[in-house]
Amino acid sequence: MNSIQKSRRRALVFNYVNCIVLLCLFYLIKGGIVSKSYLIFEILPVTGIMVSFKNVFGKSKLWQLTHSTFQALDERETELVYRATTISYSIFAIVTLILIYLFYLGGLGAIDVVLAAFLLYLAHTLPAAIIAWNQKVVIDED
Amino acid sequence: MKSRKIFNRIAVLRQERNISRKELAEKIGVNFQTIGYLEREEYNPSLDLAFSFSEYFHLPVEMIFSVEPLKPLSEELKQLKGERHE
Repeated sequence: MNSIQKSRRRALVFNYVNCIVLLCLFYLIKGGIVSKSYLIFEILPVTGIMVSFKNVFGKSKLWQLTHSTFQALDERETELVYRATTISYSIFAIVTLILIYLFYLGGLGAIDVVLAAFLLYLAHTLPAAIIAWNQKVVIDED
Repeated sequence: MKSRKIFNRIAVLRQERNISRKELAEKIGVNFQTIGYLEREEYNPSLDLAFSFSEYFHLPVEMIFSVEPLKPLSEELKQLKGERHE
């Protein structure tokens, strides 16, 4: 594993950790455990998500890769996106099930718009995240 | 299904023609990174892609791709000439 892949993996972990921090803080405030004034601190994980998003998905063009039509990709890229999407379906289903059960058992009721937004973000970023995590980064000189 | 590794001469042929990966990728119609993957033999091309290389380099497919490690082209040509004389 080279330094680019290491930093990409670190940024990826940082991105999802910030998502979890954002959600935890939101539900702590919503549940009345933490004062509403702490809502201002949501800016920190949001900034973290934006910065790491740019590094992992933007600069690497992985967002573009996983959001292109198959006609715009060559056969290797199509195979790469197909494999990543297949894995991401399984991960997404498991994460969604866990969250539904957590909400049900935690007495939080049905999932709300914030969690739905997170799940939407997760669904869109997971294929690119899987590629970022697994792909060997080789810089072709020309 | 586990597939066999396919060896190729793309890097040698590209360097012989003095073209960059980007230029070759444009001619073949793939991403330039795919050329890198093929040259490093980390990706097995489809038959269609293999024929595209064959057409571009004006060489038979079996001269570019093989399931066995490829000998240098000069050695193979010498062998072919020897077979013709026999």
